[in-house]
Formats: sequence, C-alpha cells, structure tokens
Amino acid sequence: MNILVLIKQVPDTEAKIVVSGGKVQEAGIKWIISPYDEIALEEAIRIKEKTGGTVTAISVGDDLVQQSIRTAYAMGADHGIHIKHDQYQMLDAFAIASAIAKAIEGRDFQVVLAGRQGSDSDNGQVPLILGTLKGWGVVSFAKKVEIDSQKATVHVEAEGGEAIYESTLPVIITANAGLNEPRYPSLKGIMASKKKPIEVINFADLGLGTVSRIEILGFEPPPPRPQGRFIDGADPAAKAKELARALREEIKVI
Amino acid sequence: MHPSLIFDMDLYHPKPEHKELRELVGTLGQDLLEKAARHYDEQENFNEELLRDFGRKYSLFGLTVPLEMGGHGLDATAEVIVHEELSMYDPAFTLSYLAHEVLFVNNLYHSGQDTLRQKYIPPALKGEFLCAMAMSEPQAGTDVLGMKTMAQKRGNLYILNGTKQWITNAECADAFLLYARSGPNRKDISAFVIERRFKGLRIGKKEAKMGMRQSPTCQLILEDCEVPEENLIGRENEALLHMMRNLEIERLALAAMALGIARRSLKEMITYAQQREAFGKKIYEFGQIQHLIAESYARYRASRALVYETALCVNPQERQSLSAAAAKLSATQMAEFVSRSAIQVLGGNGYTRDYPVERLHRDAILLSIGGGTNEAMQKNIMKDLVQLENLDI
Ligand SMILES: Cc1cc2nc3c(=O)[nH]c(=O)nc-3n(C[C@H](O)[C@H](O)[C@H](O)COP(=O)(O)OP(=O)(O)OC[C@H]3O[C@@H](n4cnc5c(N)ncnc54)[C@H](O)[C@@H]3O)c2cc1C
Repeated sequence: MNILVLIKQVPDTEAKIVVSGGKVQEAGIKWIISPYDEIALEEAIRIKEKTGGTVTAISVGDDLVQQSIRTAYAMGADHGIHIKHDQYQMLDAFAIASAIAKAIEGRDFQVVLAGRQGSDSDNGQVPLILGTLKGWGVVSFAKKVEIDSQKATVHVEAEGGEAIYESTLPVIITANAGLNEPRYPSLKGIMASKKKPIEVINFADLGLGTVSRIEILGFEPPPPRPQGRFIDGADPAAKAKELARALREEIKVI
Repeated sequence: MHPSLIFDMDLYHPKPEHKELRELVGTLGQDLLEKAARHYDEQENFNEELLRDFGRKYSLFGLTVPLEMGGHGLDATAEVIVHEELSMYDPAFTLSYLAHEVLFVNNLYHSGQDTLRQKYIPPALKGEFLCAMAMSEPQAGTDVLGMKTMAQKRGNLYILNGTKQWITNAECADAFLLYARSGPNRKDISAFVIERRFKGLRIGKKEAKMGMRQSPTCQLILEDCEVPEENLIGRENEALLHMMRNLEIERLALAAMALGIARRSLKEMITYAQQREAFGKKIYEFGQIQHLIAESYARYRASRALVYETALCVNPQERQSLSAAAAKLSATQMAEFVSRSAIQVLGGNGYTRDYPVERLHRDAILLSIGGGTNEAMQKNIMKDLVQLENLDI
C-alpha cells in the first residue's frame, strides 16, 4: 500500500504572529507540521507498519518546508516531495491542489491522507479539490480508519452517533483530532532524516501557469479586543441591577 | 546579537545535531516528565517503563557509542545537553537515566572488549536491559579504593563476595557494571558485568531518601556470586583506569543536571516575582529579591559556561579530572544556592509541593554528594593543581 500524506508547514500554534505591510512577518517564527496533518502522517505510518508499503510526504512552499519533510522522515515517512514556490503565501487552495495533482501523475498511490484543515488558515479545501481533480472519493473528519487491499472503511463523528463510510481505492481521507496520538520522532530517526534526499519539483515546471483563482490582497491583524468593562455596585444585588440596566438601555440586547 | 551568530561558534551547540537533540529532549521532558514528576516523587516510585521507552522508542541511549554499535557517535556535549534538559523537568528520572546511560553504557563501551560490547550494548541501547553501576560500599564511599568486595578466580568463574551500597536502579536493573578487589594491592581492582539472574546476587533494602525519590537506590549483596570469566571487563586489576575515566563524564553529567535544576528554578522565581505583589508593588521591585534573582542568574551563567567548556575537552582519550571536578563543584553548589533562592522568592508557596522548587532543592543536594562529594572535588582539585608544571591556569 503506497500512501501519500499532504503536509502543510504552519507557524507553531504558540507563535506570535506579526503582520506589517500587508504581510505576515516570518522572521523568528518556529515552523511545525500543521497538527491535523501530523495526525494524518501518524495514521499513514501506522497503516504502513501494519500492511507494508511506503509513505510519501508532499509539501508545497519555499525551501523552509523541507524542515517539515525532514520531520516526516524522522517520524517514519519513506519519501518526500517538495513542490517549490517562493511566493506560496499567495497561492490559493485550487493552485496547491492542482500542483499536487500534477506532481503525482503517473505515481501509484492508493490512499491520500491529509489533515482536516491547516491550523493557520483553517480552509480545509486542498484535499477536497484534489479529490475532484483526480476523480477520487473523499471522506472527511476521520476518527478511525481501516484499510485493506480493496477498500477503506472510515468512521466519522456524526450528529448523535457515528457514520461509517466504505470507499474503493484510491481514496482521500482527512484526519480529525482523536484519530491517533502522533508519535515523537526518535533520535535515530532525526539523525537519519538529515541524510535522506528530498525530491524537489519546481512549481513553475508543472506547466500550470497562473492557476490561483483567488488573489490575496493582503493580511491584516484582527483589531485589538476592546477593553472589558467592570460593573460597579455596593453589593451583588446592586451590581445585577446595574448590569440589567446597561444591557437594556445602553447595549439594547434585552 | 547572540555570539554564535558573530563567530559561527556556539558553545552550547558545537554541532547542528546538538540543537536537534536539545529540541527533542526538551519536548519529551515537557510532555512526558513534567506532569508526572510530583507523583513519582510523592509515591517514591520509579517510572521504569518510560526509561525503557527512552531506548525502545526514542533511541536516546548510547549517545557516545559509535554508529556501528547502534549508538549515535556523539560526545560529552550531547550528554550534557540531555542531562540538562531532562533535569528541568525531573532530576530524579534523569539520575536513573544517567546510571544506565553514563555509568553503564558509556563505561562498558569504552572499557570493554568486543565480545562483551556485542553481548550487552545492543540490548542496553534498546531498553531491553536496564542497567546500573556498583562501586560504593557501606564502608567505602569517598575512599573508594577501600572497597572490600572480593573477586576470586575459580575454574572458569569468578566468585564474588561483598556488599555494594547506594546503587541507583538496582531495584529493576537487569545488569550491573561492578567493581571488586581482585588482588593484594589497594589498586588491584577489576570490573565485571553481572546479570541480575546470576546465582548468588541479591538486591537488598531500598533507601528512603530526602530527594531523588523517584530514582530507586538499593544495596546489592553478593554471596558466592558466580560470574563467568568472560564477563571480566578488560583485564584483571586494570579497572582503576576505567573508573577514573568514567568518573569524569559522570561528574560532567551531574554538573549538567545542576544546570537544569538552576534554569528551572530561575524560570520559576522570575515569573513569580513579576506576578506577586506586596506593599503595592511587584516583589521584583524589592532590592533583596533582585539580589536573590540576579545573584542566581549570574552564578548559573558562569557555571553553564564552565560546564559546556569542559564538555568540549572531556573524551575517552585524555584525562580531564581537574576541569571535570571544577565543573561539578561549581555547578552543584550553584544549583543548591539557586534552588534555595527560588524557595525564598516564592515564600510560603515555595515551601509547598504545589510548586516544583522544593523538590528541585531536595534533588539538587544529591548532586553535591553522588559521583564524589564536593569535599572530594576540592581534594582532587588541589591534588591536580600542585602537579601542574607551570601553573598554566
Ligand atoms: C542517591 C544516591 C545515588 C547513588 N548512586 C550510586 C551508584 O549508582 N553507584 C555507586 O557506586 N554509588 C552511588 N552512590 C554513592 C555515592 O557516590 C557516595 O555516597 C559518595 O561517593 C560519598 O560516599 P559516602 O556516602 O560513603 O560518604 P563518605 O565517604 O563516608 O563521606 C562522609 C563525609 O566525609 C567527607 N569525606 C570523606 N573523605 C574525606 C576526605 N578525604 N577529606 C575530606 N572530607 C572527606 C565527605 O565529603 C562527606 O562529607 C549514590 C549515592 C546516593 C546518595
């Protein structure tokens, strides 16, 4: 079973994001594999450990994303593909999915795993568009995955219960939280990851032209949160009275 | 700008691998040690499975063992990084790591013949064998050459008799690197690998300790213990060199633990001093609190530089007893001072087990005793200094 994992490199969830001049300032940011993608990667490695085959990690971005591909190697991925684009921040989901679709043409993947959404932009579109472009089925928000040589069985949280999907292969599956607990890489894995080659494909060489359908005009930080207001009063009853008055007369919500 | 960016040299990470190692171990410490440290301290119970996982899952044993033998081919700096990082979260667990990784694995690799390495290093690296080292005795600690445990050759066996004391990991160890007297002279010491299952070996009482409570410390009793002759490490009566050589890296690793304790204590007190208010001010605005924190910080930075500088020159090929003793003496006293200062800055909270600093302080005190007491370090430093030719210090 050959599995492809879509990896997005994102700022560490604890990183402080600074926006200036319409751009996210990248200096000093610690980059990580988007947490849902890490779950997808872990699942792929577990499937490989059970049934054999290979795991390939693919990522679109500038040279920095090779770090995340190396992390994927350290965890247990066998191959890595870097689709190189220096202005990748300006690409939309359609462009990224098109590039991946093109790059994997002629390669034999039966399962594609990805996170349900990137932890930075929360779009969650690339796997869906990739499915459309390839004509493969997509099951989103997996919380349990079983794969055999013919089909995939995917359990998904549903209103008040659980939905179970069966799909022929190839299939694209997106991982939800709780699917697994990603492993820590071993020191051996980290050391070996540095020596493994990464296949680099220039985005421009894929012959897609200007494929983005959305133009990003700029980034802006969210407005600072307004100061909270304290309701004063001599005792709880007085405070409650003042709160009710403010809600009715000033804010007009009751 | 950080000096490493100017000089293309970083004392704390001479090679890129050192940075990655620190990052991995820091993450493991934070995620796997931090939450449980208090529990294991209070229960006086050892997280043995996690230490085995350090080999099984994270391949963190054999840092100084060459790649061909399944190790990482790294150096003393790598040991310092791991011991420093882990001690930020749990010094007691780190002490047990040290006993396995430094006192057994590093020592056996550098002192043992190939057959013994082939037999014991791979399972020790995988965590299948958890290991320990037995040198001290009830009547011989600092005076280690006063040891009484005897090894006598009988046929193709050595028969060992005696009692070993203060043996870290003895409760669960599968194998021991053990020193015993093997001739009439004070320096006639030999070293053996002794498996737990060998006839005549018994694990004695477990000590109830002030600190390092997670790390199990026990007596080891040898009554006509039968050891196959091939388990002699190197040659008869030549183990004093193994012992002295390994004590250098052990002292360095203990000094590194002191750095981790100090760094954590500093973080705790700096954070607390910025939050806690008294007399309408943050307490860091008081001169006496500034004194405690600033003094701690300056001493931490000085010891850290000394320990990492020493790490650059400690290796199996040359003797560095003077620097190793100085690093241990400096860092352990510093850690006692810094962790004690942290308790003071935190006031009543510092004295409770809800904050980690009282535990760090209890743990820090062991570092001034184990691996040679601070008095022994002072004695060794003086002995080395009077032998220096042109006082090139
Ligand atoms: C938690 C713990 C774990 C340990 N783990 C191990 C282990 O895994 N393996 C192992 O072999 N050992 C281990 N040890 C033993 C440790 O190395 C010894 O405790 C240490 O060397 C001191 O020996 P001692 O306790 O016999 O003290 P002693 O040697 O009796 O010393 C008592 C006091 O006298 C002082 N003193 C002794 N001689 C002199 C002198 N010549 N000049 C000035 N002062 C002197 C000492 O500094 C000390 O203050 C461990 C100890 C502890 C507490």
